[in-house]
Amino acid sequence: MSLDASRTAARRGIIDRILRRGPLEAAATAIIAAGVVMLMQPLSLTLYSWSFTTTLFGTVMFIIVSKVRD
Amino acid sequence: MNELSASSRIAYPAAAAQPRVTHRLRGLSDRALAWLFITPTILLLLAINIFPLIWTIYLSFTNYRANRANVPTRWLGLDWYQSILTDPDIWAAMQVTAHFVIWTVIIETVLGFGLAFLIDKKFRGHGAWTTIILLPMMLSPAVVGNFWTFLYQPQIGLFNYVIGFVFGRAPSSFQMLGDVTLSPWAIVIVDAWMWTPYVMLICLAGLRSIPDYIYEAAEVDRASKLRQFWSITLPMALPFIMLAVLFRGIENFKMFDMVNLLTGGGPGSTTEVASITLKRAAFESWRTGYSSAFAIILFVTVFGLANIYVKALNRVKSR
Amino acid sequence: MTVAAHSVVDPTPRTRRFAGALVIVYAVITMIPLAWIFLTSFKSPDDAISYPPKIIFQPSLEGYCNLFTTRSRQTPDFIQTLGPPQGMCDDIARSRNMVIAGPSNYLPRFVNSLIIAFGSTVLAVALGTLSAYGFSRFRVPLKEDLLFFILSTRMMPPIAVAIPIYLMYRAVGLSDTRLGMILLYTSVNVSLAVWLLKGFIDEIPREYEEAAMIDGYTRFQAFVRVVLPQATTGIAATAIFCLIFAWNEYAFAVLLTSGNAQTSPPFIPIIIGEGGQDWPAVAAGTTLFLVPIVVFTVLLRKHLLRGITFGAVRK
Repeated sequence: MSLDASRTAARRGIIDRILRRGPLEAAATAIIAAGVVMLMQPLSLTLYSWSFTTTLFGTVMFIIVSKVRD
Repeated sequence: MNELSASSRIAYPAAAAQPRVTHRLRGLSDRALAWLFITPTILLLLAINIFPLIWTIYLSFTNYRANRANVPTRWLGLDWYQSILTDPDIWAAMQVTAHFVIWTVIIETVLGFGLAFLIDKKFRGHGAWTTIILLPMMLSPAVVGNFWTFLYQPQIGLFNYVIGFVFGRAPSSFQMLGDVTLSPWAIVIVDAWMWTPYVMLICLAGLRSIPDYIYEAAEVDRASKLRQFWSITLPMALPFIMLAVLFRGIENFKMFDMVNLLTGGGPGSTTEVASITLKRAAFESWRTGYSSAFAIILFVTVFGLANIYVKALNRVKSR
Repeated sequence: MTVAAHSVVDPTPRTRRFAGALVIVYAVITMIPLAWIFLTSFKSPDDAISYPPKIIFQPSLEGYCNLFTTRSRQTPDFIQTLGPPQGMCDDIARSRNMVIAGPSNYLPRFVNSLIIAFGSTVLAVALGTLSAYGFSRFRVPLKEDLLFFILSTRMMPPIAVAIPIYLMYRAVGLSDTRLGMILLYTSVNVSLAVWLLKGFIDEIPREYEEAAMIDGYTRFQAFVRVVLPQATTGIAATAIFCLIFAWNEYAFAVLLTSGNAQTSPPFIPIIIGEGGQDWPAVAAGTTLFLVPIVVFTVLLRKHLLRGITFGAVRK
């Protein structure tokens, strides 16, 4: 595992730099938080309707992203 | 495991061949033992948590009703999800939940952090007083919540008497549990009474994790106490505060026992938090398929927040 | 007074006294509801519902009597025909023109609580200790995921799980049985037990077992004779946490039990007397129910922080 990481670190390009765990995890966290806010906000029924999909997407993304190398 | 075999070889150089065999046996039994130790727990959780969860997912796609088990079930696809997510009544229940979650978390965080800050001053006897403050959170929310209905009685209740006395109102002039504007606050008060100690305890750990030398350095730099608070105390305790806020948020999002006993969702549906709505649909109207879909929606929300919580937990652990 | 021992960051005595005073005020306010439960349990029904609320009153054991008995109303003439009252409770009941009809359901419910709490605690701690040792010492594939999976089961909303559990228990004949509740509480507690005990076992140096194994112990013997004795405190603290959870649990109990296996939390709120809730009896039942928890909380105070953060924060 550690061997693998050091090898990829050597040829880490621009895409690799964006697709790192930290920022992706932060994005997933933000999506989950947005979904929860949408679920409970009093302003728009449409936002409420899409809240579940958002939370589900954020959660699935979080689980996948947490498997990505550091 | 490798260090072990190496050291045992050093320890018993004469019997070098013998440990080699036993090492292999031990290595094998190690892996077997690991699985032997872990599998029972996993099996139990699979049987009592995961299997029911998968069943709930299945039921949420059908029109099954637990009180009419003989009626053939029909596959409905995502119909229940669609109807729940466009239902203004459920939306209203989510806002009741939001009111409860937001206010309890705010009050508990402010009071809890304040208390932790004071206890951290290490006055005489702070250990004993801390234990006393912690008591409410260990008690059964249901049993204690039930007793609060007595304290909230308009004429005879102690709460109404004290508040009436302090604000110069007749104790029977307001009903904490029967009034549509007061009852959402009645459940907030009991929850804050119960769970402020929880936030306090975690904040206290956060404050104690700040090493003294940082404050000493700030003193040398002649930073004011207020400045020290804003730029040292608060930022360094923040991961702990986040941990407490997240956990209380999750717990109160699914709050059932206390609210069920205090108001049961009433008057009307002014205190009908999500769990109460779910219980009514599942165990009073017996709309099993519908309530399963609602349960999954609540579960995914909690599960998503639990992911963030574990991340916060790991961040605190590394301190 | 020596100045040398006094660090610049130590609060001044005045700050300390002020902080102490504020904390004590909060502690006193927060104790009032609990003190009121205790006081009410010793009031007569009239004193309990008097206005203004009474702090000084003639103590009475009527609440405790009513808690453990059921009574029926009789005419004074009929009561005259009975023999002398048997015991204090009978005496109190007769003074209110009642006779004791039999024992109430409180004791069986209390016993149910005891059996279910202890049964599930023993199971959860046993399973938890084994798993925690496994996770702490061995290389387990997908370790982090399994640990998260175990924790996430505890986060599930009880009502969401209760629907299929209800159906499942109905299908296999476990509904309203103590065994069913023990298994259910075990599954909720085992996640806490694994996380807490893993923290405690992580703190025991591996060298102890390794030394024992060099001396010829097998891995299992080393676990039993070296690790378990070292982990006694942790196991005890975990057991108390599990016990308190199972003792306090309400949501599953109220939805899945009705009589046979009902525990105290769903029962205490439905204690009623003539014309509404019998508050002294409810307070008496609550007091008896809370006393063990208060004792355990005091015993546990050093480990509370670990318990509420799943072993992550150790101070």
